Amino acid sequence: MSGQLAANSSGSSSAACPPQLVEGGRQDAADRAPASAAQRFRYKLRIALREPTTAIGILTAALFAYLIVVPIISMLSDAGRVQLGDERRIRMEVGDFTWYYIERVFTSRVASSLFWEPLLNTLSVAFGAIIAAVVIGGLLAWLLARTDMFGRRWFATALIVPYMLPAWTFALAWTTLFKNRTVGGQEGWLEALGLTPPDWLAYGRLPVTIILALHYSPFIILLFGNALRRFDSQLEDSARILGAGRLTVTRKIILPLMLPSLLSAIVLIFAKCLGEFGVPYVLGLPVKFDVLATSLYRSISSRQTGVAAVLAGSIMLIGVMTIMIDAKLIKEARRFVTVGSKGAMDRLNPLNNLRIPATVFAALIFVFSVAVPLSVLFLSTVMKIPARFDADNFTLDYWIGTDLNTVALQTGILLSPDLWNAAWNSLRIVGVASIVSGLLGLLVGYVVARTPVQPLATFLRQVTFLPYLVPGIAFATAYLSLFAVPRGPVPALYGTTLILMLALIADQMPYASRAGIAAMMQLGKEPEEAAQIAGAGWSRRMISIIIPIQKGSLVTGILLPFISGIKGLSLFVVLAVPSTDVLTTFSLRLVDYHYTQAANAVVLIIAAIAYLGTLLGQKLTRTNLAQGLGN
Amino acid sequence: MPKINLRGVEKNYGANAANAVANLDLEIGDGEFMCLLGPSGCGKTTTLRMIAGLEHLTDGEIQVGSRVVDSVTAGVFVPPEKREMGLVFQSYALWPHLTIERNTDFGLRLRNLPKAEREERVGKVMKTLGIEEYRHRYPSQLSGGQQQRVALARMLAVNPEVLLLDEPLSNLDAALRLEMRAELKRLHREFKTTIVFVTHDQWEAMTLATTIAVMSAGMLQQVGTPNDIYDRPANRFVAQFVGNPPINILELAAGSPADLVVRARSYFQQRYAQIEDIGSVGIRPEAIRIVGPKTPVPEDAFAGSAEVSGILPTGGSWIIELSTAGEKLFLTTHQAPEIEVGAMVEFFVKPKTLHVFDGAGRRSKTADRLLNPAVLHS
Ligand SMILES: Nc1ncnc2c1ncn2[C@@H]1O[C@H](COP(=O)(O)OP(=O)(O)O)[C@@H](O)[C@H]1O
Ligand SMILES: [Mg+2]
Repeated sequence: MSGQLAANSSGSSSAACPPQLVEGGRQDAADRAPASAAQRFRYKLRIALREPTTAIGILTAALFAYLIVVPIISMLSDAGRVQLGDERRIRMEVGDFTWYYIERVFTSRVASSLFWEPLLNTLSVAFGAIIAAVVIGGLLAWLLARTDMFGRRWFATALIVPYMLPAWTFALAWTTLFKNRTVGGQEGWLEALGLTPPDWLAYGRLPVTIILALHYSPFIILLFGNALRRFDSQLEDSARILGAGRLTVTRKIILPLMLPSLLSAIVLIFAKCLGEFGVPYVLGLPVKFDVLATSLYRSISSRQTGVAAVLAGSIMLIGVMTIMIDAKLIKEARRFVTVGSKGAMDRLNPLNNLRIPATVFAALIFVFSVAVPLSVLFLSTVMKIPARFDADNFTLDYWIGTDLNTVALQTGILLSPDLWNAAWNSLRIVGVASIVSGLLGLLVGYVVARTPVQPLATFLRQVTFLPYLVPGIAFATAYLSLFAVPRGPVPALYGTTLILMLALIADQMPYASRAGIAAMMQLGKEPEEAAQIAGAGWSRRMISIIIPIQKGSLVTGILLPFISGIKGLSLFVVLAVPSTDVLTTFSLRLVDYHYTQAANAVVLIIAAIAYLGTLLGQKLTRTNLAQGLGN
Repeated sequence: MPKINLRGVEKNYGANAANAVANLDLEIGDGEFMCLLGPSGCGKTTTLRMIAGLEHLTDGEIQVGSRVVDSVTAGVFVPPEKREMGLVFQSYALWPHLTIERNTDFGLRLRNLPKAEREERVGKVMKTLGIEEYRHRYPSQLSGGQQQRVALARMLAVNPEVLLLDEPLSNLDAALRLEMRAELKRLHREFKTTIVFVTHDQWEAMTLATTIAVMSAGMLQQVGTPNDIYDRPANRFVAQFVGNPPINILELAAGSPADLVVRARSYFQQRYAQIEDIGSVGIRPEAIRIVGPKTPVPEDAFAGSAEVSGILPTGGSWIIELSTAGEKLFLTTHQAPEIEVGAMVEFFVKPKTLHVFDGAGRRSKTADRLLNPAVLHS
């Protein structure tokens, strides 16, 4: 056998230790020169171009550059250039460089109402909500994870519900209860009972803070609770054995170790509050309480494109800074962390005689954050006159009535074509966007995991993450800036459903690509390589191996964005027009027209879809919500 | 004609990394059972993946049969799906969403074979490997050994001319491993496939291979039959990597004052003065004999005395630990030793069983010629 011959000639009689090679190899081996740089490049290029992976990678990279980077750049450049319609006021040509908008937002006489006051309001609302959420959510997380409180399993699900519903559901419930005569339309329940709530209770800072706190406490319950559950009780035990009291242990051992997860939850809440539009819009307008998002919205509605660009840029900058601070803090805190070892908590702290008060506390939070708002919303849609509980005051007219005595919307909401139109739009726009972003996410995951061209993988990873740093309303502004006018071969997209889909896809890419990358990394290369060895070309491998194996994560990758898209408001409020109304903008329009019952009914429908969708998602993926957080 | 020919193959995973495989020249003959043997991280998997086309080269060329499938200089790269080889992954990499039958059938479907023929071939290979009864199960419902058979069946079904195996037995328990070894040998005979088998287990390599290629740190150390590798290790690395208990090494060059080393030095100076540059001498444990009434010291042997410092029965054979001032020697014997710990014994080693390495660790040709004149040296 020739192998034997080869062995005899090259091996057994003479061989060498590293670094010398085996002597006596064949002649051609000895005088073969190493490949030149050009030859290596050609070989690499051939391999890179052989499979569609690299081509797809380049195409998706170009697509995301256009859908994500270009709009942001366009918006930022709007901030420094004279906008159409402003040329006479600024006395420069359209497109010239100008400091006008930046000065107007930061230093002019109107700067305080445009930027500084909204900034302070945003910060105060965000920090207020964070403090309240940490206190309430932290306490609840501890009760759920580490004590023998009654009904922990039930509460563990029930207390998360506020997060599944759109935040401004609660804002509408609040106005339904507390609206006073400052604003027209149907009066609030308290007003109807003869108690006029003061403005500070009915509108503005206080209710916005309370609602955001209740809405975001589940973040703390989930993230902090998870960390508490994984906490190694042996660490606690060792401190106790050394004589530390319960308080000392909590202060010196548990809290420092819990800090990273607490910090991430806090940063996440802050970022969400920064872009929160619906709640301050509903509750702030009557008393001119502006946050950055509503101030931005006002600039957009009054067609002050330049000012809007500066405001959106500022929101984006704060978002970027937040994430950077977060990354730094987490890095600092992680140095100490030894959470997650085997001796996780299974031992619960007995509450003894505090057991009942603790349970009552959790129940109260549930009542105030879920039961009361939802019942109030529902009751308001079946009562003619607010807060009167006579049998003849109840009606289903607002749902299914006809010939109602109103200017517009003369039928019950379920009979209104506008509702079905909006529902169809929601389904279509959000559905298409979610499917596309789910598939793109998997594709990005595939390219990142497989391409031999590393820079391409890095670029894709980063560009798809970018929208995460940009709150939705600022991102919508960027879309408006790029697509409001025709550019080259691309016609003006404003007013079409396409712009909504594109914006939604781009906005969802951070989650979609993260899910796709994780799924592909977890799968590893080998199942696909095995198919390749068996003789399967690229498309066959995709169809027969990759997509079937990734079916589950693809479903999650579509469903989670779908739910967040259905209840999303801030993208749509900037980019939708009446003909492309979706459920959320439709209900907001109804709020504007003071059709309280109809608006509440639509919001209830959205809440039901979001809630059921989340349950379905949990069932399908057998995961808990914590993994979908941030969507 | 060699089946697979690697010429100057080099693989580097990153600009700053050391070469995972460096300047590898290797011929694998038709129908051969070639084992790539070496410690973990020495580049065996990388070599196998380069042959399969799953990893591209940094330099060099790979030829299969008459076809160059990979060449950096010529800019040739034949993708794995066109190389018509079989590869069994260390992790098996079965497709979790397909049944055992569909897993086995996958390659045949790709080749558009008629249904009847597919069924016949799948049936045959599943029967050979004893996995018929699981045909409708999914991979997650099988044990490690059964999965391993499916991974093999999946590749054998398409009857590849070259079968690459990456430590396929390392996840199995001892009994199953023995059984699968016999089975692999039988399959090799039956299917007449060229097999390249990666392992870090010398015992596995010795029992299975027709040829072994020993690698270390990305470099080929020696190619030869199992006996070649064991009896005539080309360098100190191979000598020390193969053999259990490991070969005894006496460092002659280091100037050690240890009694045994001094003795060895003078032994070579007196008898084999022609051998220059002796770095070290290796003595296999079974080559050491204890002097007794029936076993006198041959005239030309290297001899010494030492204290017995340990006797370790290993079931059917014994490992005896000898100590002389500053040096330890291990010897193995299949006869129950009639000595006790603490006793002083005389021992000897025949010259033809001594392995002499030069200062750089290479096997000394001069020594081979002088110590073992009966064998023809190439
Ligand atoms: N994909 C990879 N990227 C970077 N380095 C790698 C990769 N695969 C292997 N290596 C490195 O190459 C060397 C050889 O690895 P491998 O061929 O897997 O060794 P073996 O199979 O002999 O254990 C190791 O140092 C390993 O760390
Ligand atoms: Mg390996």
